[in-house]
Amino acid sequence: MDDLKKIAQNTIKALQAEGADKAQCTAAVSEKREFNVDGGEFSLFRTLFDKSLSLMAIKGNKKGNIAINRFDDEAVSAAIKDCIAVAESAGEDDAWDIAPKQEDKNVVQGAPEADVDLLFSRTKELLENINDMFPKIMVEQLVVSHEKTNKVYCNTSGSSFDITNGIYEVSVMFSGHEGEVASSFFGSGVVTDSLDRPFIELGTIKKDLSDVEQQIHQKPFEGKFTGTILLTPGCLGSFISSIVGNFASDGVLLDGTSLWKNKLNEKVADERLTIHVRPDDSRIVCPEVYTTEGFLSEGYDLIEKGILKQFKLSLYVANKTGHTRAKNSAFSCVIEPGDTAYEDMVKGIKKGIIVGRFSGGNPGTNGEFSGVAKNSFLVEDGRITGAVSETMINGNLADILTNLVAISKETVCDGMDVLPYMAFDGVVISGK
Amino acid sequence: MLQDKITEKRSMFIGDVHTELRAQINRKRRINLLQGNLTTNVRTEESGVSARVYKNGVYGFSSMAEYSSEAAEAVLRAASENAVFMDSHIKKGKEMFPAIPYGRQQLNCRVTDIDQKQYIDFVKEIDNYIAVKYPSLASRMVIMSEDSMEKLLSVSDGQDTHTAIPRSYIYLFMNTETKDGVPIEQFKPLGGFGNFSEQFTDPSLLFGEVDKLYEITMQKKEGIYAQAGYKTVILGGDLSGMLAHEAVGHTVEADLVLGGSVAAHNLNKRVASDLVSMVDFAHTYDGKMAPLPVYVDDEGTPAEDAVLIKNGILTGYMNSRETAKHFGMKPLGNARAYLFSDEPLIRMRNTAVLPGTDKLEDMIASVEDGYYLTNTNNGQADTTGEFMFGISMGYEIKNGKLGQAILDTTISGVAFDMLQTVDMVSDSMTWSSSGFCGKKQPMPVGMGGPQLRCKVMIGGR
Repeated sequence: MDDLKKIAQNTIKALQAEGADKAQCTAAVSEKREFNVDGGEFSLFRTLFDKSLSLMAIKGNKKGNIAINRFDDEAVSAAIKDCIAVAESAGEDDAWDIAPKQEDKNVVQGAPEADVDLLFSRTKELLENINDMFPKIMVEQLVVSHEKTNKVYCNTSGSSFDITNGIYEVSVMFSGHEGEVASSFFGSGVVTDSLDRPFIELGTIKKDLSDVEQQIHQKPFEGKFTGTILLTPGCLGSFISSIVGNFASDGVLLDGTSLWKNKLNEKVADERLTIHVRPDDSRIVCPEVYTTEGFLSEGYDLIEKGILKQFKLSLYVANKTGHTRAKNSAFSCVIEPGDTAYEDMVKGIKKGIIVGRFSGGNPGTNGEFSGVAKNSFLVEDGRITGAVSETMINGNLADILTNLVAISKETVCDGMDVLPYMAFDGVVISGK
Repeated sequence: MLQDKITEKRSMFIGDVHTELRAQINRKRRINLLQGNLTTNVRTEESGVSARVYKNGVYGFSSMAEYSSEAAEAVLRAASENAVFMDSHIKKGKEMFPAIPYGRQQLNCRVTDIDQKQYIDFVKEIDNYIAVKYPSLASRMVIMSEDSMEKLLSVSDGQDTHTAIPRSYIYLFMNTETKDGVPIEQFKPLGGFGNFSEQFTDPSLLFGEVDKLYEITMQKKEGIYAQAGYKTVILGGDLSGMLAHEAVGHTVEADLVLGGSVAAHNLNKRVASDLVSMVDFAHTYDGKMAPLPVYVDDEGTPAEDAVLIKNGILTGYMNSRETAKHFGMKPLGNARAYLFSDEPLIRMRNTAVLPGTDKLEDMIASVEDGYYLTNTNNGQADTTGEFMFGISMGYEIKNGKLGQAILDTTISGVAFDMLQTVDMVSDSMTWSSSGFCGKKQPMPVGMGGPQLRCKVMIGGR
């Protein structure tokens, strides 16, 4: 058994001996067990034994990173020298830094020990449930795994975190079929620390299967209109990710292209919208304990009642721009629910679409998005009138936040985020 | 370079199963210089050994992040146990796929390394050239990315091999704004197969490409929005390569065919106009090395070209040895794994639409009202063949002449419908190889094609 703490501490000492002013190191080992189903049939059982050693050194305000997956003395010594050489070759930048001393942590999370037999049974049960409940669904691929990880972080500030966790993950890709007619494919998944419940009951797996089965006879519609898009929780997650990436993340604040760069503490969204970034939410499975720079992770609000409260910034970009760093480096997104039931949201749509998946180009830094609404339903006068194909949607990420129609009462947790349904107006929806 | 510690383990292979034992090292070097700030300065290496065992229709696999004689023995044992576990629970009872004669191929090229400082100095010189010559840009970024896969493979039947695929790229990004404040981003990847020091000898040799990118960026700065609708367009080689890979290639990967892709019902049927032929090249195109050559795959199958569409007819799939047996086809070396800890999956290699006989200028002259779409910044498709490509550069065509540049837009369509509209195919060929294909695992792939005249939906407000 590798002594991770000893490896990490010795590496820090060696980096200091080589001249590092500040340094951090993470040593980790993991074991993964994974069942694969392809084309509806079990195909593969994998067991993986992995390790990793990540080093970061700052020497004379110059920073270098090295990552290897070996712990033997020869490899570690070479990595230490390489890390210093990489740092020495960089330009000076006094924005690089790590956290000051934090309280040491020794944390066990989730389900560290795998129950492989029960995992196999639950996987088989999911396939049987899909066959029984959704006979028109074809499972293209199902990957179910358990991964146990033990990692130790140490830095030159004297902080030390020892984290052991175990996560079950379910990821299923499927499509609906009737003869030669098929829906678009769809992916659904969850992470969990418990095998107590059948997988089909977790996250949105059952609803996703039901929706896709109803999308087999999707067809294009004629014309173009400006209307409402109702985003499912999974699709909303990808929009939120684009919004944060385009307006509130490191790259766009560092190069100054963010539309929100001067909007801190100003209104950027409808006042009903609050976005928490909460690794401390009890629904998040195996949340982040410490940030990439060695701070203990805490929750923060990105947007509170429509007001931009914080950018999602690393310590480096915070130092470069004069903003405050985000208090965690994960993005466990928890959006406050609204007061409208999902069914009533649908009833309230005059003309629009329910979007299950968005296949779009990278939005420009001005937030303009354009792409295909996949796995989607047309809604007219409050009623779902059919599944649509070849339907494009165009809008602006910044504008839709102020064109919010409603947020659902219901939220869905997939173990990583807690998200509602959300509807936005003013989006151009084009048929064939 | 990987030392051979696995061939001697062939004595542990069991007779009635197919066994693969693979040692591998993946290496990455990356430099990001954003507005002159060195935001990424990283070197990574991942190495280890894995084994996969096929028994009665199921696979067992195991890997360890350690490359030693003991680790090789351990993963062989674990993979066998996993295969037995699956076989005892699933009982598929499938027959073994046909054997491939034993052979051995030696290392095709060597992976070399240089100091990080050499990468940084190179990138800084390009960045400095941009900063000094083009100070009016809103922002700039130069990225250096070098990655390599070196593999040693020993199989119970098929080809034992030692292979390496190094590739090196410089990515140039320029940002500006239109007079209305619309942000403009243009990027250009440069490089290809080979170690960095072979691809890039002198930064000043790239200054011409920098100037060209700036010129295009300025054209786009004056650009107009494309009109939305169903339009006649000429797709540039980057776009037809993307089409070959994303919209058609994935649907004819046999594992996705078994999962219900649109190709399942279209074998030996017309799926494109008779001007369209498409091939997944193994290692050689037109007598020269393909962008990312594969000589033997990770199941020990010697790699050959896979003809996918011939004169508009869907003629074949890309297979693993198992799916080839299922479909009664010959395996052609498409089963590849990305990391030592990854199992081989059916992957494309160098997938391309074949060139035709038309001249680009004649194609442009033939379009009364349409667009010439030259660059893409991303693309997605699903197993129905419905695709969406982001268009990052293009020009309007009016009365047979190129007009103004257009701003970012998207195009979409259904591959087997859209390919039926192809009525002109140029005689030139554009290859690209800088990206990763994503399918459970990433994988470096090449893609290419000529200019195609066809009809697609253009997005827009």
